[in-house]
Amino acid sequence: MAGFIFRRLVSTIAVMAMVGIFVFLLLRLAPGDPAAMIAGRSATAEMIAGIREKLGLNDPMPVQFIRWVRDMLGGDFGTSIFAGRPVLELISQRLEPTLSLSILTMILSVTVGVSFGILAAWRTGGLVDRLLAAFSALGYSVPVFVIGYFFIYFFAFRMHWLPVQGYVPIEGGFRPWFVHLILPTVALGFGYIAFIARVTRASMLEVLSEDYMRTAAAKGASSYAMLFHHALKNAGVPILTVIGISFAYLIGGVVLTETVFNIPGIGRLVVDAINNRDYPIIQSVLILTSGLYVLINLTVDLAYTLIDPRIRY
Amino acid sequence: MTISRRNLFRAGIAAGAALSIPSVLRAQTVPVDARTVRMMNWGVPSVFDPVITTSQDTTDHAAAIYDTLFALDSKFVPQPQMVGKWGVSDDKKTYTFELRDGLGWHDGTPVTAADCVASIRRWAQIRPGGQFMMARVQDISKKDDKTFAIALKEPLGLLPSLLADILYIMREKNADTPATEAVTTNIGSGPFKFNESLFRPGASLTYDRNEQYVPRPEPADGLAGGKIVKVNRVILENIRDAQTAVAALQAGEIDLYTQPPADLFSVIESDPNLVLLPLYKHGHDFFLRINCLQKPFDNVKARQAMLHLVDQEAFLQVLSSDPKYTNTVTSWFGSGNLATNDENTGWFKKGGDPEKAKQLFNEAGYAGEKVVILQPTDWADGSNTSQILAGALRKIGINVELAASDWAGVSARRSKKEAVEEGGWSIFITSDTDFSRSQPMTVAHLSMNGEKAWYGWPQSEEYEALRAKWADLDAVDERKALARKMQAIAWDYVSEVLLGQFTAPIAHRKILTGIIGMPDILPLWNMEKA
Repeated sequence: MAGFIFRRLVSTIAVMAMVGIFVFLLLRLAPGDPAAMIAGRSATAEMIAGIREKLGLNDPMPVQFIRWVRDMLGGDFGTSIFAGRPVLELISQRLEPTLSLSILTMILSVTVGVSFGILAAWRTGGLVDRLLAAFSALGYSVPVFVIGYFFIYFFAFRMHWLPVQGYVPIEGGFRPWFVHLILPTVALGFGYIAFIARVTRASMLEVLSEDYMRTAAAKGASSYAMLFHHALKNAGVPILTVIGISFAYLIGGVVLTETVFNIPGIGRLVVDAINNRDYPIIQSVLILTSGLYVLINLTVDLAYTLIDPRIRY
Repeated sequence: MTISRRNLFRAGIAAGAALSIPSVLRAQTVPVDARTVRMMNWGVPSVFDPVITTSQDTTDHAAAIYDTLFALDSKFVPQPQMVGKWGVSDDKKTYTFELRDGLGWHDGTPVTAADCVASIRRWAQIRPGGQFMMARVQDISKKDDKTFAIALKEPLGLLPSLLADILYIMREKNADTPATEAVTTNIGSGPFKFNESLFRPGASLTYDRNEQYVPRPEPADGLAGGKIVKVNRVILENIRDAQTAVAALQAGEIDLYTQPPADLFSVIESDPNLVLLPLYKHGHDFFLRINCLQKPFDNVKARQAMLHLVDQEAFLQVLSSDPKYTNTVTSWFGSGNLATNDENTGWFKKGGDPEKAKQLFNEAGYAGEKVVILQPTDWADGSNTSQILAGALRKIGINVELAASDWAGVSARRSKKEAVEEGGWSIFITSDTDFSRSQPMTVAHLSMNGEKAWYGWPQSEEYEALRAKWADLDAVDERKALARKMQAIAWDYVSEVLLGQFTAPIAHRKILTGIIGMPDILPLWNMEKA
């Protein structure tokens, strides 16, 4: 197990290095000039040239690359070209909103999705199953921003139950923090609930048709024991995989939700950085996100051993 | 089916909790502080130095925390702002300025003449108005702590107007920063203080009233007069989604939204709590900029063809379907100032004149060369007007390619002088305030000095000779006459073509009053919240 974890951690560094090189080259080769963006729309070529020189953007690409790698190995992820602040400071400011939204969405999606999936599998073809089919179609087909606008219109604008937009840090109080996250969480969770519920249902159906389940029923096991003790545990590996993938995807995929609900998270930080060609921010976020993806996958792999004793590393 | 007492009890608690949630939550949605104004302006500035950038959000930021030596009043006449007494020598070559009493930095130190001298020098390194001024300046010197002088090689009547440009006075130690390096501190002497502890880069920015600020005694008039702050705090939010911003405005979560999209005007107009208000009645002039170095527009006939091709109303329809916010504009100097005139505007025709444009392209010897239009996909107005233009050109048989990219891509590509096959360009669309067109000395795109000119690099020595005279004329009639001559040349040369004027209104809640309307800048002082 220790060897497995060590190898995976080493592979994390390799993945991050590859992402770093790729992103560095991609950004330098893509059209756009941060100096022009700093100088503004009406700037003269002279203003832009001066800024480029000062930022070191005229240096040869290998020089820029070596400088960047050297600084990063020393723990310095650079300074935002625009904000003039350390990139890690900017990322840490944006981490809380994104993590809050992602974690709440996962809690909602896993709780509702797994429950929904189990019920649908238990009563295949019944009302819950049909409802799940309809809900899944809705969850998959309606984009998150449409759901978001509908929620804003109905719950915030019409009913005045919840705020339209914004984010309150948790240090500002649990209730305002939570209240501002209800609509974005539910809007974002729609698709994930549908996804997790469908996978849970399919996985549970497969297990419920196994011989040992029939044996358990013949021996008089209760419905609760059959579903949660025998079936769910055996159906758990694919469900856990889906949850892990979903969480990793969520971290990087909340841009639309953050935009619609005006949540100052990592997604918006990256989009703004891309629009402005703020290279240090884009590079750092993508490298850190790739590392996070690998770590989430590692955590999921390790979690398999908890629910399936046959899996050994 | 039986219902147990326990289940009934549980159901009752659950129903009660569910019904009470809305009232509990409702409290969270109501703004609490009537002395705080929340707004979605251009966003939250990421560059704080008004010298290094021309971005609107930075200019507004600077107007809040810095002060200026002179400021334009509502009639665009420069009036003293930080300056108390000032005078000019008999030979009109030496201007002396004395700072008024009570000026202090947000860190508690007094504003000195040395701060002003350093700020002027830094601004003059990089801004067109400053560069023009410095060509005539012999010396800028501090006389005492409150007095400084500008000695000129030859008279420059335009000097107070130039000093009323985007020239914000910074502390000497900040102003000593090279003009190509951004000043990142936010210590000014203006009516608002930047609240560092509440700053969330890219997300929100807070200004607090500067209690120590001493406003001028005159009433506020444009950017001039007393900058009296009537609220305690102004918070800029960065709400990127227009629908959300309008919903937030309707719900009272913000008080002001300066960039509502035209397709939501009707929603705002139908809300009794909201007002749509054009801050500056002549708004922005949209124009297409032509690359005069490359084919086919290195030929003046091809450029003139563009003048005849454009149907301004078609472009304006894209910018706003409501005609009360749009106007056609034909003067090189815009439509709302003393230089506005009708010289050499015979090209303007309702609906455009595509046949004439086609004929001019033929006379230019057009042989199917590719015309590349830079299309900024992240700027809806620019993107949509680019498509209209491409369609109009294709209709008369021009080989058009829309080069779609975000504004960063457009910004980078427009600086390339090469042929389109080598990454160059032919046309891009942009906009500027109508007021800017009245400032040929300080606005980069109104020059025609070849390599030194703005993108497109037009070159007309005749026009430049007239432009040089602009700064020396004091009499209004003389300047009007000069404007006619400049316009005659400009519309013959055609470095850019006007597409129309859009007076984009801001949207605000009715409880917010006292908003000052000036082109390019949204002053935060004088506004009041009921």
